[in-house]
Amino acid sequence: MPFPSLSKGAPVAKFLFLYRNTPEKEAQDQSPDQMQEVMKAWWDWLGAGQAAGWVVEMGEALVPEGKLVEADHSVTDGPYAESREIVGGFTIVEAPDMETACKHARGCPIFEAGGRVEVRAVMDTQAPE
Amino acid sequence: MAAEPFPLDEQFLRRESASLIAVLTRAFGFASIELVEDSVQEAMLQALQSWRLGGVPERPAAWLHRVAKNRMISAVRRNRRAGEVDEHLTATLDPSASIEPDEVQDSLLSMIFACCHPSLERRSQLALTLKMLCGLGDQEIARGLLASTGSIKRRVSRAKKLLLEAGTALTMPSPQELEGRLDVVQEVLYLLFNEGYSASRGELPVRIDLCEEAARLAHLLCESGLAQPATRALLALMLYHAARLESRTGEDGAIVLLGDQDRRAWDWKMIAVAESWFERSATGTTVSRFHLEAGIARLHCVAPSLEATDWNEVVRHYDVLMQLYPSPLYRLNRAVAACQLGRLDEALTELQSLDGSGALEEYPLLHCALADALVRAGDHATAHLHLRRALVHVQVPRERELIERRLKALRRQE
Repeated sequence: MPFPSLSKGAPVAKFLFLYRNTPEKEAQDQSPDQMQEVMKAWWDWLGAGQAAGWVVEMGEALVPEGKLVEADHSVTDGPYAESREIVGGFTIVEAPDMETACKHARGCPIFEAGGRVEVRAVMDTQAPE
Repeated sequence: MAAEPFPLDEQFLRRESASLIAVLTRAFGFASIELVEDSVQEAMLQALQSWRLGGVPERPAAWLHRVAKNRMISAVRRNRRAGEVDEHLTATLDPSASIEPDEVQDSLLSMIFACCHPSLERRSQLALTLKMLCGLGDQEIARGLLASTGSIKRRVSRAKKLLLEAGTALTMPSPQELEGRLDVVQEVLYLLFNEGYSASRGELPVRIDLCEEAARLAHLLCESGLAQPATRALLALMLYHAARLESRTGEDGAIVLLGDQDRRAWDWKMIAVAESWFERSATGTTVSRFHLEAGIARLHCVAPSLEATDWNEVVRHYDVLMQLYPSPLYRLNRAVAACQLGRLDEALTELQSLDGSGALEEYPLLHCALADALVRAGDHATAHLHLRRALVHVQVPRERELIERRLKALRRQE
């Protein structure tokens, strides 16, 4: 059995970007023009990511309110609406390692609005060779 | 759902926000205007959150309308006790009802008349029009009107309060009051356009926005059947000027004077549209100042060069204007035209008398015009003096630059 080849190219892993918004800051007095500019900044960033190949899925936005289904099947309101920071959406990206994934995340326009990006590696389901 | 993931028209959100505010305010009553503004703002924010990842939905305007209306419905429900919702409201509450183009147009028109209500101060009419009908933010309005953001905020909220207290309704003016109300609206749109057009004020993108918005609203009026010949003349005037707007600023942001502008770079399509509105304004028996000013702007547009402009006609137009509105600015412009015709003595006498009257004391262009006429008359020393006086009053860096350029040129000639 040969030793795993290194010539296959760098292995790529999947990562999840979770956008942590601070809704209060974003809501402050933004004019429609400014909002459209922010939207364009996101499209530029994600579009560049698509062109470069590291954006796998643009993802979706999430409604701030949600529910929690407990182990006893009771349903409660999620603690989201009032929290200072909420997960407002996600994107799936591809990168050789965590460091590169974080490098991509640094271009996200969310920081202008005081938000953060949580970068999580998707666990590899393939058996190691 | 995301058919077209990327770009929207440049002013899409701004225009939609204004349309939604007008439509919903008309549906829910002027008293609900602040609730409407909040709901529309929330819808915009929701669009921002959702579209930046999911892309733009197939019918973005309908999407926004649905979201804003739903927000509005829950806000109204929160504010009213059960059973208090009246019949009329229930009818308008159907969130699935789509929004007809006619409805948008009528709502915007009645909003124009509300924002240009004669009981409001002129500056408030301007600010309110920019806020409600153009969807501009306080900061953008402040930049356009050269005021502080705080003062714009206060002005807008005071004006809204006044209109609320007066029990304003979003309705069209009655046929009897239409003419008077239209006059005010035209005056406001004219000023709005001028704020954007004056080369000496503010940054170019902001100025173009103001001009575009003023022309858009004038166009809306002209298409509505409410327009009078003067309204069409006003629109023509705006378009003649707007066609030359970008040529007035060089790539480096410096002011380019009429004589140095590349006439091929003017927006000839826009000039053609202006021509057709100007033709359509030539009905009725009254010649308004908009007719005369549009006529002058037209003479500049159709002239092959500065020298070949029909300056006699320009002077004739100003003569009529001065009879109608004895303004020192018209006198100044008439003198400049006389100067172009080589009627130097006449021009100098008029300009010096204007200078002596003190009416345009702090107006740098008077001194520039005087300097020009004096150079032609060979009196470089006095010309020099007037350019220095212009420098004292000039406030905008670009204009200062221009005057300094002329001072330098004058020194080279000596």
